[in-house]
Amino acid sequence: MGKGASVAVGLVGREAAAAVAAELEDSAGKAAGAAAAAAPALSPLSETLWRDRAAGGGALLGDVSARLAWRDLTVTVVLATGDTQPVLQALTGHAEPGTFTALMGPSGSGKSTLLDALAGRLAANAFLSGTVLLNGRKANLSFGAAAYVTQDDNLIGTLTVRETISYSARLRLPDKMPREEKQALVEGTIIEMGLQDCADTVVGNWHLRGISGGEKRRVSIALEILMRPRLLFLDEPTSGLDRHALLLHLFYASAFFVTQTLRGLARDGRTVIASVHQPSSEVFTLFDCLYLLSGGRTVYFGKASEACEQFFAQAGFPCPSMRNPSDHFLRCINSDFDKVKATLKGSMKTRFERSDDPLEKITTSEAMRRLISYYQHSQYYMNAQQKVDEMARLKGTVLDSGGSQASFAMQAFTLTKRSFINMSRDFGYYWLRLIIYIVVTLCIGTIYLNVGTGYSSILARGACASFIFGFVTFMSIGGFPSFVEDMKVFQRERLNGHYGVVAFVISNTLSAMPFLILITFVSGTLCYFMVRLHPGFMHYLFFVLALYASVTVVESLMMAIASVIPNFLMGIIIGAGIQGIFMLVSGYFRLPHDIPKPFWRYPMSYISFHYWALQGQYQNDLKGLVFDNQDDELPKIPGEYILENVFQIDVNRSKWLDLSVLFSMIVIYRLLFFLMIKMSEDVTPWVRGYMARRRVQNRRQRKAELAARSPSLRGYVVDAASLPADLP
Amino acid sequence: MDGGGGAYGGNGDAWRGAVSPAARYAESGGASLTWENLTAVLPGGGGRATKKLVQGLYGYAVPGRIVAIMGPSGSGKSTLLDSLSGRLARNVVLTGKVLLNGKKRRLDYGVVAYVTQENVLLGTLTVRETVTYSALLRLPSSMRKSEVQRIVDDTLDEMGLRECADRHIGTWHLRGISGGEKKRLSIALEILTRPRLLSWMSPPAASTARLPSRSCRHYASLPLTAAAPSSPPCTSPAARSSRSSTTSVSSPAASASTSEMPRFPCPSRRNPSDHFLRCVNSDFDDVAATMKGSMKLRAEAELDPLLKYSTTEIRERLVDKYRISDYAMMVRNTIHEITKIEGVMEEVIRGSQASWFKQLRTLTSRSFTNMSRDLNYYWLRIIIYIVMAICLGTIYYDVGTSYTAIQARASCGGFVSGFMTFMSIGGFPSFIEEMKVFTLERQNGYYGVAAYIISNFLSSMPFLLTVSWASASITYWMVKFRPGFSYFAFFALNLYGGVSVIESLMMIISALVPNFLMGLILGAGVIGIMMLTSGFFRLLPELPKIFWRYPVSYIVYGSWGLKGGYKNDLIGLEFEPMMPGQPKLTGEYIITEMMGLSLNHSKWLDLAMIFVLLFAYRLTFFIVLKVKEAAAPYIRVAYTRFTIKRLERRASFRKTLAMTSLSKRHNPPHPMAIQEGLNSPMPY
Repeated sequence: MGKGASVAVGLVGREAAAAVAAELEDSAGKAAGAAAAAAPALSPLSETLWRDRAAGGGALLGDVSARLAWRDLTVTVVLATGDTQPVLQALTGHAEPGTFTALMGPSGSGKSTLLDALAGRLAANAFLSGTVLLNGRKANLSFGAAAYVTQDDNLIGTLTVRETISYSARLRLPDKMPREEKQALVEGTIIEMGLQDCADTVVGNWHLRGISGGEKRRVSIALEILMRPRLLFLDEPTSGLDRHALLLHLFYASAFFVTQTLRGLARDGRTVIASVHQPSSEVFTLFDCLYLLSGGRTVYFGKASEACEQFFAQAGFPCPSMRNPSDHFLRCINSDFDKVKATLKGSMKTRFERSDDPLEKITTSEAMRRLISYYQHSQYYMNAQQKVDEMARLKGTVLDSGGSQASFAMQAFTLTKRSFINMSRDFGYYWLRLIIYIVVTLCIGTIYLNVGTGYSSILARGACASFIFGFVTFMSIGGFPSFVEDMKVFQRERLNGHYGVVAFVISNTLSAMPFLILITFVSGTLCYFMVRLHPGFMHYLFFVLALYASVTVVESLMMAIASVIPNFLMGIIIGAGIQGIFMLVSGYFRLPHDIPKPFWRYPMSYISFHYWALQGQYQNDLKGLVFDNQDDELPKIPGEYILENVFQIDVNRSKWLDLSVLFSMIVIYRLLFFLMIKMSEDVTPWVRGYMARRRVQNRRQRKAELAARSPSLRGYVVDAASLPADLP
Repeated sequence: MDGGGGAYGGNGDAWRGAVSPAARYAESGGASLTWENLTAVLPGGGGRATKKLVQGLYGYAVPGRIVAIMGPSGSGKSTLLDSLSGRLARNVVLTGKVLLNGKKRRLDYGVVAYVTQENVLLGTLTVRETVTYSALLRLPSSMRKSEVQRIVDDTLDEMGLRECADRHIGTWHLRGISGGEKKRLSIALEILTRPRLLSWMSPPAASTARLPSRSCRHYASLPLTAAAPSSPPCTSPAARSSRSSTTSVSSPAASASTSEMPRFPCPSRRNPSDHFLRCVNSDFDDVAATMKGSMKLRAEAELDPLLKYSTTEIRERLVDKYRISDYAMMVRNTIHEITKIEGVMEEVIRGSQASWFKQLRTLTSRSFTNMSRDLNYYWLRIIIYIVMAICLGTIYYDVGTSYTAIQARASCGGFVSGFMTFMSIGGFPSFIEEMKVFTLERQNGYYGVAAYIISNFLSSMPFLLTVSWASASITYWMVKFRPGFSYFAFFALNLYGGVSVIESLMMIISALVPNFLMGLILGAGVIGIMMLTSGFFRLLPELPKIFWRYPVSYIVYGSWGLKGGYKNDLIGLEFEPMMPGQPKLTGEYIITEMMGLSLNHSKWLDLAMIFVLLFAYRLTFFIVLKVKEAAAPYIRVAYTRFTIKRLERRASFRKTLAMTSLSKRHNPPHPMAIQEGLNSPMPY
C-alpha cells in the first residue's frame, strides 16, 4: 500500500481521490502481511500512523484503538429555579473502533448533550450519573483526549484553508517530524475532506468574502482529523449547507471499516461518533451503528442497516417506499407532527392524501411510547447490555491524552506567526484603528498647533497631554470585537488541547507588538511635531514610548476583560468604565493633592496607568521650559514651578522611573490576563456547579418541609427524590 | 421553467388540462408573477472574473400554487428569489423582465412579502407580542381590537405557535424559542396580512421546514403566489408542492417530473427530491470518484445508472432536454397568456393599512417594551452611570470655593459632559439590532421612516431622563454644586440634552456604516473630536478659527453644554484668590477672563441650543435614511447601464463566465458583529 499512498499525496483533486480508492483496494488485496511493514510515506487514508512510527522506528504500540462504552448515562439539568429536568435518561450504548455511530433524533432529543457528556464538556449546571468507559476504564475525555468537532465553526477568518490546517498541524505535530511530512499530512487532509478547490481561499470574515458554510464545517472537521485521533466526536457535521461534507467524511469512516475488517488489524481502528440531523438515503447507508434518541431516551440502538427493515417493521411502523428511512424514523418520533396533524385536521386538502400509513392513525407520542417499550424488550437492547458488560470487563490500553505533541517553543512560535498574519490581514484589527488614530492625532495637532510658551499654553499643554493619554488610549476599545473573536478560537483550540494558556498569552503579546509600535510611533510623531512639544530627541522618545506603553496596557486590560466577559457590549461598557475611573484619578481632572486620600488617592491613583503616564509626560514636557506670565511686566514662570504648584507633580522622581512603572504594568496586566483565563477555566465551573447544587438542596429541603407539614402532599415529592443518588 | 404540472404529486391532475394557469389567474384576482429571460450577472473587476448567477430563466407563479425552487447550493436559488422580490445585492446586474400582473413595477417596500433566511426579530418580545405588534402596525386602524386579536390567534394556530405563544424569542441572556419556531414566527408575520405574493427562503436544516411547508400548502389554496427555494426537502413537502423547478447552475435543468427523466429513474427508497439533486449536483462527481472501487458500494453502483455518468454530463443532458421539451414551450406560452390579461387587479398592494398615528403608537410601545426588557439597552448603562456618578461624587466631594476648586469645578463639568456622554456608545449594539428589524420591516413596507424616528425618540425618552436625572442628582448633591432647584434642574436637563444628542449622532453613524466594529470606532473617534472642540481641553477663544472654531465648535453639543454649565455653576459665587490677601474672584470674572466666554446670553439659551441640535441631528438621520432609500433605484439603474456597457466592450465576456452563487444571503457576514456575539455566550 505504500506506493499507492505516496502517489495519493502528490496528486490533487479527483485523480487523487481515485488513487486513494485504488490504494484501498490494493491494500485490501494484500491483506495483513503488507500492513506490518510500515509505509515510507504517509497517505491521507493511511492507517499507519505517524505516531506509531514516531514511537520508535516502526515498532508497534499494541492495541491503541478506543472502545467507548457508556452505561445508564443520565444527565439532569438544574434550572435557575432549583428545579431539575432530566435531559438524558439511562442511556446504554457503545462505540467500537472502525465503526461510525450515528446519533439521530428530532431537535431537542439530547443528541448534543450525549456527545457533551461523553466528551466531558457538560455545562456546569448539568449533572451526570452513570459511567463512561474508555477501553474498560473510567476516563476523563476533556482537553484533548477525544477530538470533538462542535457545532460552531470558530475559525480565523483571514487565513486561507491551507494555512488554517497547516498552522494547526505545526501547533500539534511533534517538532521532530520533517517539514515535508507535515506538509504531506496537511495536503492529505485537504484532499480527504474535499477542500482542494478552496484550499487557497480565505475562510472569510465580516469584510472578506470567504468559503461557504459547508466548507467551513469541513475545515473544522479537517482540523480534528488531522491528528488521526482514536476517538472522534462530531456534533452535526452536516449542519452546513451541503451534504457533500458528510459523504466524504463517512467515506473516511466506512472505508476504514472495510480496510479494518479485511486486514483484521484492530490497531488501525478509529472510533467515530456523530450526531446527524437529517441524513439523505445515501448517507444513511454509510452508518454502521444507529443510535436513535427521542426525549432523552433510546428508541433504537443497533446496526443501522437493521433499523428500517427489521426493527421498525417489526414494531409495526414499516417504512413506505419513496421515503428515506431516516426521514421515516424522525417522522415516527418527532412530536411536532402531532401539532401539525391537529392543525390540519378537517382540512379538505389532506383528506384524500391519507394513505394506509399507520402513522396517520395514531399520535406520534403514542408511536414513540410503543417504540421505546418495544426496544426495551427487544434483542437489540439485550445485545447492547451484554456488549457493554463485556467491554467493561476487558481492560484495554490507556490511551495517551492526545492533544499537542509540539514543544512549547514551537507552539508559541507558530501561534505568534499565525496571530501576526491574522492581525496584518484583518482590516478591523489594527489598520482601521491606525487610520482613526491618524485622523484623531491630526485633529489634536491642528487644534494645539504650535502651542508655544505663552501664559495660556501652560494649561493647554496639560490638557493636550491628558487628552492624548486619556482618550487616545481609550480608542483601543475599538479592538475589543477582534479580541473576542480571538478568544473564541482560543477557547475551541484549548478545549481540544491544541496548546496551553501560556503559549497563547505570550504569542498574543508578541504578535501585537509591531502593530502597536507602528500605531503609537506614527500618531506620536504626528502629535509631537505638530504641537511642538519640548524639543529634543530624548523628549520625543520618552513621549512615544510612554504612549506605546499606555496603549499596550489598555490592550492587555481589554484582553483580560475579553477572557472573562465574552459579550461585546458588557465588555466594552466595563472596559470604558474602568478606564474612565482611571482617567478621573490620573491627576488631571482633579489635582493629585486634592484627590480624597482614602481609596481614590492611595490605591487607585497608583494603580491607574494614566497617573504614571501623566506624571512622566508633564515632567518630560515642562521641565526646562520658561513660560510668559499674565502680564509682560511680571517675571517669567519656569516649568519646574508650574510642575510643583499648578500640576502638583513630584519633581524629585525621575520621569524614566515613571516610564518603567508603566512597562512593568504591561507585565502585570499580561499576568492578570493569564490568571483570568485560568480562573475561568477552573474556578468558574466549580462555582457554577456549587451554586446549582445549592439550589437543588434548597429546593429539596423546601419540598421536604412542605411534605412533612401536609401528608396529603407526599405524593408530589417524587421528583426531588428521583434525582440521581450520586449527584456530585 | 415549469413543466405545466406533470402527472406528479397528490393532486397534480386536478388542475391539469381543464383550467389553464392563465385562466385560473384571471379568475382568482390574485397576484401573478412572470419572469422572462432573467439573467443576473455579478460583474468582475479588480482581478475577479465576471460571474453569471442565473442565466436566461423563464417562469411564472400564479395564485393558489406553490412554486418550489430547488437546486444544489450555489445553483442560483436565492439569486432568483432575490431578483423576483427586488432585493438583489447592490452590485448585481439584472437583465430581463419581472412582471407583476403583466406590468413592471417596483417590488420592494411591501409588494412582495419576503421571509428571509435569517430571522430578524426583537428577542425580548414574546411570540404573541411580536405578532400582535406586527398586526397593529399593518392592519387597518378601523379594525376593532377583538378582530385583531382573532386574526393574531388564528395566525398563531395556523403556524403551530400556540404552545410557545407566551415565551420570549430569546436574546443572549434569555433563552428563548427554538430556531424552527423562530422560522415559523417569521412566516407568521408575513402571512398575517394575507399578502398576494409570498416568497420564503427555507433554512438549511430542513426538518423544521416541514410544518411551514404544510401550512403553506394549506395557505396556498388562497389566491396567492408563493415561491420557496429549499435545500433538499423531505419527501412529503416535495410531493405536495404542486410545481417545482430545479435550477442548476443558473439554468433551469429540469422540471420535477419523474417522466421527465426516462434515463435517470428514481430508485426506490430514495426521496425524489434527493434524487433530482443527486442528478444535478456536481459535488457528487468528487464523491463518486472517491467511492469508485470501494467494495461496499459496488453492488449499489450496478443498480444506479447515475454512477455511470458524471453529474456534469447528466446536467448538460437535462438542461438540453428541457430546453427543447414541450415543457419549456408551455411555460413560454403561459407567460405570454398571463401578460396579455389586463385589468384584473389594479389595487396598489402596500405593506401597511394602519394610519400613521396608529403606527407611531404601536412602534413606540413596542420599542419601549423592548428597551425596558433588554438588559443591555439601558439598564446596564444606568448602573454604570450611577457607579460613575458615585465615583465622581466621592472624588469631588464637597468641592468648596478655594482657588483650586475653580479648576476642579470646571473639570467636573467637563468630565460629566464628556465622558458620561461617551458611554452612550454602549447602546450601539442594541441599537444596531433594532435597526436591522427596522430595515427589514421597512423593506416589507410596514411603516415610514418618520414614524420610526419619532417613536424611537419617544420611547427612549423615559430611559434617558432616568439616566440623566439619577446621575445628575448623585453628582449634584455629593459635589455640592450651587444649591437651588432651578440650578439642579438645569444641570440634569443639560445632561439629558447631551446624552440624547450623542444618541442621535450614533444613529446617524449606524445608518452610514452598518458594521458594528466600524460604527464603534468611528463613533468613538467622532465623540473624541467633539470633546476636544467643546472648550474644555482647549479654551474656545484659543481654538484655531478656521474649521475648528467656526463650524465645528458650534455644531458640537459640548460647547453649548459647557457654556451653560459654567454659567449655571459659577455666576454669583466667589472664590479664594491664588495668593492670600488678593481680592476674591467672582464667578463672572472667572467665566469671562479665565474661560474666555462671553456673558451676553443666558444659560437657558445655551440649553435651548442643545435641543435645537438634537432636532437637527434627528432630522439628519431622517434625511440620511430617506436619501438612501430614494436614491437606491436610480443608482441601480445607472450602475446596470454602466456595467453592461463596460461588459459589452470586453470581448472575452462570454468566455470568462464562472458559475458561482454569490447571492448575499448565502454567505452571511462573519459573526464579527452582533450576530453571534450577543446571541450565544462562549461556552465555559
